Amino acid sequence: MQSAASEIASLISRVALRDRAAFRDLYTRTSAKLFGVCLRILRDRAEAEEALQEVYVKVWQRADRYAQGGFSPISWLVAVARNHCLDVLRARRPAGDDLDLALDIADAGPDPEQAAVASGERAQIDGCLDQLEADKADAVRGAYLDGFSYEELATRYSVPLNTMRTWLRRSLIRLKDCLSA
Amino acid sequence: MSTEDDTNGGIDEGSALVAEFALGLLAGAEHDRVRAMIAAEPRLRAELRLWQVRLAGLDGEVAEQPAPAGILERLETRLFPAAPGAGGLWNSLAFWRSLAGAGVAVAVLAVGFNLLQPRVDPQEFASQLVAALQSQEGSGVEFVALYDQATGSVRLTALSGEAIPDRDFELWYIKGDEPAVSMGVIPVDQKTEIVLPQEARAKFGEGIVLAVTLEQKGGSPTGVAQGPIVAVGSATSI
Repeated sequence: MQSAASEIASLISRVALRDRAAFRDLYTRTSAKLFGVCLRILRDRAEAEEALQEVYVKVWQRADRYAQGGFSPISWLVAVARNHCLDVLRARRPAGDDLDLALDIADAGPDPEQAAVASGERAQIDGCLDQLEADKADAVRGAYLDGFSYEELATRYSVPLNTMRTWLRRSLIRLKDCLSA
Repeated sequence: MSTEDDTNGGIDEGSALVAEFALGLLAGAEHDRVRAMIAAEPRLRAELRLWQVRLAGLDGEVAEQPAPAGILERLETRLFPAAPGAGGLWNSLAFWRSLAGAGVAVAVLAVGFNLLQPRVDPQEFASQLVAALQSQEGSGVEFVALYDQATGSVRLTALSGEAIPDRDFELWYIKGDEPAVSMGVIPVDQKTEIVLPQEARAKFGEGIVLAVTLEQKGGSPTGVAQGPIVAVGSATSI
């Protein structure tokens, strides 16, 4: 399992050296994961498809920065995808949100490879989230995994925006203390 | 503001902002401001790194979704242009490549999209040339194609070149990785206007590839190109 991660790391390094075959391999092995990220955050197939293209353009252009990261290789790719999609959301937001558009994506479990690679990190964040109240842990997950804004979270939990921000911030500080431990 | 509503609430403002930034909760100007603040302060950079690495533990919760077909090809076209003007799509046309190379020499097909004005000042042709391809031996066949979206017609002009006895040139369009579709036989000694059927109009847009092959008299009998490519170009809107 560790070898799957190191294979992806090696593909990323080859992409940094402008190896086109490696780029193709990397796309083949990781596009389903990154498309899952884009679809979940953008909740629109056409936008997710366009975002996926932009994400891999960035991967091609920035692969040389991977080594500086300290991420697992797939986490680095997910971070590139997530950041791009959040930028798309930020650009979209002034026009107003429509939560009803949320696309229900079947929650197939994580693939075994990914689960094993990430099991250490996963256990830690899960353990720390478990120490928060359930709705606050859900709010953190919603922000990270679904790209929810404070406005969306406030609507979901039926609290005023300021209240939402205050209680989530307190939870984040507690979470950080736990994650740093 | 009362203490209850105060987002500060007695907590470390910097740390709270870093956490919000890492989760993507900040919008617009505040997002940019906090990004700059983190960049300027090593303690905050370390905190951001901690958040990013720890939160990545949640990545496994995102279900994989097979990416739609065709994206890799579009990426390769965009990132790896095969030659100036020819475009990466040339590479995806492997079957064409194997046919190319037999005889007809320098050929250039320039394709422009004329979305608004059917009339084009010849002076402007130079700026509308979007693709050029040359084969090895030179005997000069050049085409310019203009597509008029309003009428759905392609106007094709041979700028130079001569007809070849007992052979015909045939025009094709290729959308992405789909097989080439014939648009019919075209003369080299006169202007041609081809009115596209509806299904072809739906496919015509920026990036569509037009190609000319040398075929037997009357064009390929099979609907699949059999002769060498003598000209190819991809369309750019003007």
